[in-house]
Amino acid sequence: MGARPGRVGAAVAVAVALTLTACTAGGSGNGGGAAGGSDSDGGATQGGTLTVSTSFVVNSLDPGQVYEATGALAVHAMYDTLVTFEGSDVTTPVPLLAESWEVNDDATEFTFTLTDGAVFSDGTPVTAEDVVFSINRLHNLQGSPAVTVEGLSASSPSEGVVVVTSEQSNPNVPTILAMPAAGILNAEATEAEGGTAAEDAASADAATEFLNGESLGSGPYVLDSFDPASEIVLTANPEYWGETPGYQRIVISNVEAETQKLTMQRAEGDQIALDLSGRLLEDLPESVQVSASQDTFYFLTLHQDPAISEITSNPDFVRALRASIDYDGLAALFGEDALPAAGMVPTAFPGALPESEAQQQDLAAAADHLEASGITDPTVELMYPAITYRGVDLGTIATKIQFDADQAGIEIVLDPQPIASFLEAQTAGEVPFRFSPQSLNYPVAASLVNNFAPGQASATRTGWTEDRASEEIIAAGAAVQSAPDAESQISAIQDWQHLLNEDSPYVTLAYNSGVVAATETIANAEYSPAGWQVDLRAVAPQ
Amino acid sequence: MSTTTTSPASTVSRSAARRLRVGGYALGAYLLRRLVITAVLLLGVTAVTFLLVQLVPGDSMTATLSEAALQDPEIVAAYRERWGLDEPVHVQYLVYLQNVLTGDLGVSQQTGRSVLGDLMTYVPATLEIAVPAMLLSLLIGVAVGLYAAVRHGRAGDQVVRAGTLLGLSTPPFWLSLVVLYVFFFVLGISPSGGRLSTYWVPPEQVTGVMSLDALLAGEPAMAWDAVQHAVLPVLVLTVLTVATLVRFVRSAMLEVLDQDYIRAARAKGLPGRTVLLSHVLRAGLVPVITVSGLAFAALLSGTVLVEQIFSWPGVGQYAYRAAAALDMPAILGVSLFVAVVYTVVNLIVDLLYGLIDPRIRLS
Repeated sequence: MGARPGRVGAAVAVAVALTLTACTAGGSGNGGGAAGGSDSDGGATQGGTLTVSTSFVVNSLDPGQVYEATGALAVHAMYDTLVTFEGSDVTTPVPLLAESWEVNDDATEFTFTLTDGAVFSDGTPVTAEDVVFSINRLHNLQGSPAVTVEGLSASSPSEGVVVVTSEQSNPNVPTILAMPAAGILNAEATEAEGGTAAEDAASADAATEFLNGESLGSGPYVLDSFDPASEIVLTANPEYWGETPGYQRIVISNVEAETQKLTMQRAEGDQIALDLSGRLLEDLPESVQVSASQDTFYFLTLHQDPAISEITSNPDFVRALRASIDYDGLAALFGEDALPAAGMVPTAFPGALPESEAQQQDLAAAADHLEASGITDPTVELMYPAITYRGVDLGTIATKIQFDADQAGIEIVLDPQPIASFLEAQTAGEVPFRFSPQSLNYPVAASLVNNFAPGQASATRTGWTEDRASEEIIAAGAAVQSAPDAESQISAIQDWQHLLNEDSPYVTLAYNSGVVAATETIANAEYSPAGWQVDLRAVAPQ
Repeated sequence: MSTTTTSPASTVSRSAARRLRVGGYALGAYLLRRLVITAVLLLGVTAVTFLLVQLVPGDSMTATLSEAALQDPEIVAAYRERWGLDEPVHVQYLVYLQNVLTGDLGVSQQTGRSVLGDLMTYVPATLEIAVPAMLLSLLIGVAVGLYAAVRHGRAGDQVVRAGTLLGLSTPPFWLSLVVLYVFFFVLGISPSGGRLSTYWVPPEQVTGVMSLDALLAGEPAMAWDAVQHAVLPVLVLTVLTVATLVRFVRSAMLEVLDQDYIRAARAKGLPGRTVLLSHVLRAGLVPVITVSGLAFAALLSGTVLVEQIFSWPGVGQYAYRAAAALDMPAILGVSLFVAVVYTVVNLIVDLLYGLIDPRIRLS
């Protein structure tokens, strides 16, 4: 033969060895030409690069369009708002661009006095006109976050003063104005790039593309680059009017949850991971800091229009389904940081029902309700987005629901859909039965009433109009919306939830946590249920 | 009586020239024919993709506009007009075709940038791992396949066959995670993902290949860092590709080894290495070229799962995001790119046939 296979084998071995020897320690230390090291500025120590790993959910970095988690995380670091929240607290707004504010007796008019000395990243001062422009642009753009400022308008009666008016009593206006979407833009620069706050902004504004490449805010960081598929790079704003930002650079990387876990297990350098919920939190080194808050709920929605479905619009069928769910078993699928739901409001927010009121499976009651419904051997299709959300595959949860319902004699056919198709179908308002996760538009329980009460946007999509709802539940929702202060609002929203659990098209299943995992070298890496997950403005080297 | 004599040499040169002309004409005609077929194929790809996307419920408008805006006919109309969604499907398609012919693949509704610009950003990233993976796969695949063929039926051959079976049945995402676990987490000798360590400020994009751009920027340390980041994705892609190649090479070589002329060559006393390299390898390479071309096209088309696990921003990741968001221009752009890649690779493969095997004529 004389083929000398031994030499062929040796060649292969050499090739593989060459490949593997290229794997030498990487990812630690600082590169020579990099944003490494630290410097000192006015006594504050600034870190080199902070890496934030998250599974990207981002469409835009234009404050007027930002609605997804990753976008809110970045926009919050680049744009100042009138007020903000500190750490994990979402109950007390604190001053930012506004040094103080006053509210009238019926909570319809809020007067903000701007702080002196705030400047944009180009060095120009922040004025009341910029604030008015930004809030009105957010409203008139009619992008996804516009729903948060529905009924609000802004004006400036004098220099340094902004008045925000609400069409109805709303003590939560400061909270709404702390959201990243209410970030203040440099009005002149935005208009120069095609932006407008006019009523036709939804069709006339053309600044979003520019704002996806360059930031026009007054926050501690500015946008260096944005690639929706891979990373967002922020750099420290040299003109920042407040305290020196914690890092020279922040790199927000699009990383799968499993890879995030491996990265945190080695825990080198200044690293934050944002998707390690549930079982992914197990086996992390002791040194990794974990901060969590239950701010998301998962729920079923059953259409109330008999023309869409005779089955899902039957109140006794809804009760049967509600009683069939094994809430404890379902919550266990989410991991240790989840709880069976007591009501619609997650525990991160004032107004959540106590844990002792968590719903329980009752198959006997389910059978009774099903018999009362007059429906025999019901079969319904359950539509849900085929995604992994916060480390949990929604298909797994849907399968558990299917199994539980089957024990009560209800057959569920699973209908997973791509996220865009799911959203389209949901918006069209003709899905008989669906399952999805839900966060709050802004961190106040009352925001749920504005969305899910009979006749409101989400309720309408599920056929729950006022004429299909009880007087009692309509009154309970109105009591929440008209509450003059936070305390009475909390009490009202608990009453509202009790009624939802009795008679509504929603079956709330479980609460799951948002989590921040950070290396020990980082300070202020707390999870915030305010929408930005972790406050990159405050994060700094220890 | 005069006689004209023609030297044998000039006769030979004239006939050679005639053959070249004929050959040149044949090659030109062949390329022209292929060009027409390619145009029709690309037209078909765009039409089918366009129709398929139309059939999927939902569009990017749902992800962009708020609920209130979606209920407002004026805003919806303005959005549909802006993106050309208010036109009948056949008009939308014709407008798209017209734009494609001028090099305009439209604007991605996801990134807000031109699809062509996006592709020029993401294709080099995919090339950075696909090219080394293909070269390694060819090197290893041909060597191991040849070895297995020569050792047909013996222990070495059995080991190779078992290895290829394992390689072919290994899920890419699982292998990616295992490799990442071993080399990053356990051994700590590789980065966890991405194209560059985050402490580097990326170089200005010249070629789009990170390691080359770093070298051009005069940053050899950064270039080395980029190479380190590419190693694991390349390793996974190589393992996945090499299994297919080994299988094909082995069966092709076995077929050639069984030919009479190989036995004759050995009977004439030619050294074993000469027989293998000059006769067996050359003849056996023809089917291997086909599968190599297809494998390379598949690598270039984007390896979605591998890119996802390694946070590698290539064509695969771009395609995945586009599909999830029903971003029509991006979906069409990626489809067109993939079709062009396959067409060009097929053409190159066909042309290589003639070079490797003189029995194959383009005509």
